[in-house]
Amino acid sequence: MADAEIIKKRRTLQETMNFLAALSAGIEPILGRGANSMTMSAGRNLGRKFSAHAKTTDDLLEALNEVKRVLIENNCLWGFEPFKPAGQAELVTINAQGSRQILLVFRDCMIRQALFRFGHPQMGSLCNMMYGFFAGSLETIMTKKATLEIKHAGENACLKLLTIES
Amino acid sequence: MLEMTIHDKSCRGCRFCLDVCPTDCFVFNEETQKAMVAKVDNCIACLSCTSICPAAAITHRNHHVVANFYRNINFSRRMEKFL
Ligand code: SF4
Ligand code: SF4
Repeated sequence: MADAEIIKKRRTLQETMNFLAALSAGIEPILGRGANSMTMSAGRNLGRKFSAHAKTTDDLLEALNEVKRVLIENNCLWGFEPFKPAGQAELVTINAQGSRQILLVFRDCMIRQALFRFGHPQMGSLCNMMYGFFAGSLETIMTKKATLEIKHAGENACLKLLTIES
Repeated sequence: MLEMTIHDKSCRGCRFCLDVCPTDCFVFNEETQKAMVAKVDNCIACLSCTSICPAAAITHRNHHVVANFYRNINFSRRMEKFL
């Protein structure tokens, strides 16, 4: 696809995201926690749909590469990369419940751009959509439940903890 | 590689950067009562410290700045009317 075409598609997606940001900011005070469930569910459906033909694997790093590929294939600008803090031996760690965990840094994010444009706070229902997307996508690729907890929502990057339930 | 510096003379010692950093990149020097960069390798370039620092003392170099090229300013202007 030509660059101009990709930019046009992303612009349309960003417009939709701006619109969604306005909508979610409007419904959050009315629906409260219900708004999060709605966006989570929408994200999960999108994740499942995008990953329907993705390669299945139980290797977490391979699965993340597959999620990345799926996002690029659908012209979505949601760049993320694994993060290993200094002093931590492995990229993938195991928590007390025996579930695999990995820290992810999200840089370019259409949701963050949309929220900042209108002064909406981060970590709301629209950010929860990304949790839904990962849950849906990894459910399809790894056939396991996944959660994506926002550890920090920053101005230029966000830090999230991905947990794959054992 | 990412670089981060604190302009020593500007730092007011408020510790905001220590509180906001999700990856513990700073330490506080009790002697000078100023913040210091301790673990630059841990910096994810979220720029929360830069945004919160009241003295604009923190500078990052060679970091990824989020892409904005797809933003449609005209659409945003139109939407503003409704918000
Ligand atoms: S936020 Fe700025 S002024 Fe406050 S301690 Fe950190 S560098 Fe110093
Ligand atoms: S940019 Fe973020 S991760 Fe880096 S030092 Fe500042 S607050 Fe910490």
